[in-house]
Parts: sequence; structure tokens; C-alpha cells
Amino acid sequence: MDKNKPVIVRFYRFKNRLKEKTAGLAPGNTSISKEAMEAAQQALSKMSEDYPDWVSSLIVKLQEQHSRCVDTPEKRHELFEEINRIAHDMKGQGGTFGYPLITAFSDSLYGFTVKRPGEITDNQIELVKSHLDAMRAVIRGRVAGDGGEMGEKLSESLNEAIAKYDDS
Amino acid sequence: MSDYDFDRVNVLLAEDSPFIRSLLVNSLKVLGVGNVFAVEHGGDAIHFLQRVKNEPMRVGVQQIDIVISNWDMHPIDGMMFLRWVRRHKDSPDRFVPFMFITSYTEPERVLQAREMGVTDMLAKPFTIKHIGEKLISIIERPRQFVHTKDFFGPDRRRQKLDFGGPERRILNDKSEGVEIIRG
Repeated sequence: MDKNKPVIVRFYRFKNRLKEKTAGLAPGNTSISKEAMEAAQQALSKMSEDYPDWVSSLIVKLQEQHSRCVDTPEKRHELFEEINRIAHDMKGQGGTFGYPLITAFSDSLYGFTVKRPGEITDNQIELVKSHLDAMRAVIRGRVAGDGGEMGEKLSESLNEAIAKYDDS
Repeated sequence: MSDYDFDRVNVLLAEDSPFIRSLLVNSLKVLGVGNVFAVEHGGDAIHFLQRVKNEPMRVGVQQIDIVISNWDMHPIDGMMFLRWVRRHKDSPDRFVPFMFITSYTEPERVLQAREMGVTDMLAKPFTIKHIGEKLISIIERPRQFVHTKDFFGPDRRRQKLDFGGPERRILNDKSEGVEIIRG
């Protein structure tokens, strides 16, 4: 190519080293072993069963932060940061394991604990508690999916609490 | 038909949720992946790749073969991590296959990731079947990389569709201004 002409586009075409590494050089189709797929799916399902326990452990952590908010009002901003972090941890995963309500509630908790200036009021602390109560009810009752009537009731009472306490 | 041997494959996984992280590490291990290096967010992932470049013996890995990363992470998210991998001079391998694992599946999000040079996306909630299919796609259907003044990443054209008309694309392999690098 003429060295003076500017390059408009470069194409990089490499040997498929990953294929060589995983399938060798032998011709023919390669697949993932059926046994490995089944074993992995089983391991995944087994771990998914632990999801409610994992959420419970996070709710306990949130509960601790909430108690500290009550006892040491001067530390509320700091404690809210931690609550916000835990809520973020929870919110992405609920849907994956069949608990969209946990995602919805933790998303809401995440939303109103995002860092902002100004005093954190007793009402806001009360609202944290309403969220924890709702989450605890979901896990205790193993309210999977949208939870039907039970789920609706939980969402409603949480929304009522938000309407009552939210003064942000 | 033979089976893949993932034993020599090195995966870097960036995921901030401890639960999902252990879930993915475990799934990949059971599928036979030899090495899974798991970190908590994009910043840690960048730091890890810098170490792979600068002190591979100490890290115990010469090259990462596949990066799997969550998108929504703090403080450094997956998008910033991807940008670093594809564009930063310190990146040890700007061509490494990079897969997002995310619940962001809106078309504009997918487009945004593609423009930044993502290789593939795995939607949450995921199953082992999904993970397996993505691995196969990364291994079997790598795309050429394209570098233009405003794009660097795997070719955004995945399919070779038959087009029933005359070729009117301005550039082809033999055009002036097109450089092909093989390796």
C-alpha cells in the first residue's frame, strides 16, 4: 500500500488461538460435555436454593444498621451509606432467583438511601424499617414470583408507609 | 464429536455481588474452566490486568482468555472497565473477548456496549445453558477487529447475509485506506 495514503480502516484478523487451546487442532465439531453441563446446572440450582438464606443474612445486617441509626443519630449519614450499599447488592439478584419482590423492595430502599445533603429524619429511619419488614415477610413466607395476593398486600403496605413517612 | 477442554482457559470475572460471584465462579469451574480470577469491581479488574502485564509470574497467569464483567458496579462500572480494556495503552490485550453479564437489556444499552467494543452480552437471569452457548460463540465465531477513527472493537456485522444487488460498499479489502493486519 502507498505509505502516503492515510489509513481509513484497519482490520485485525487473528488465528483462533482460543479454539486451538480448547479444541485442539483436530477437525470436527466440538461441544461442551453433557455431563459437565448437567453438573453445572445442578450446582447452580443447588446454590440458588441458598438465595433466601443469603438475603436473610443481608436483612440482619440492614437491621443492625437500622438499630444504630436509632441509637446514634449523629452517624446516620455514614450508616445510610452502608444501607445503600447492601441494598444495591440485593437489588440486582432477586429476579434471577425467582424473588422479584426482593428486587423491588431493595430497589426502593436503595433509591431513598442515596447520598443527599440535609438531616436524615426519624421518619426516614422508620421507612428503612418498613422496607426491612416487607423483605422479611417475603423471605419468611417464601413469596416467590409476584407473590399473588400476598405480594400485592406487602407492596401496598410498603407504599402506604412510603406515603406516610417519606418527607425527603 | 469431541468435548472442549477448558482446563487451560483463564477467565477474569468482575462482579460486585458476592453471591452472584460465587455462583459464576462455581458454574465455570464445574464446566471445567481451569482458572477463574474473580474481582469485585472494574477498578480491581483493571488493577489485576495491569499486574498480568507487569508481573505475570507473580500473578500466575500469562494471559486472560475471556473477561466476564457485570455492568452496574461501584465505584468503577463495567463500561469504564471495557473502555480501559479496549482503548488504554496499559491494557495487556485490547482484543480479549469481553462479555457483559447484566440485567440491562434495553436496545439502547446493548447498542452502547457494542459501540464500546463488547464481544457479547449475557442477560440476567442466566442459566448454565446460556453461559455454555456464549462460551461456544466466543470460541467458534470470533470476529475480526475493526479500527476506525471512531470505533475500535469486534466487527459489528456478525452475519454475512446474501445481498441480491451490486456491491456498493465503498471500501473492500483491496481498497486504498484499508489495512489488514494478520496475526
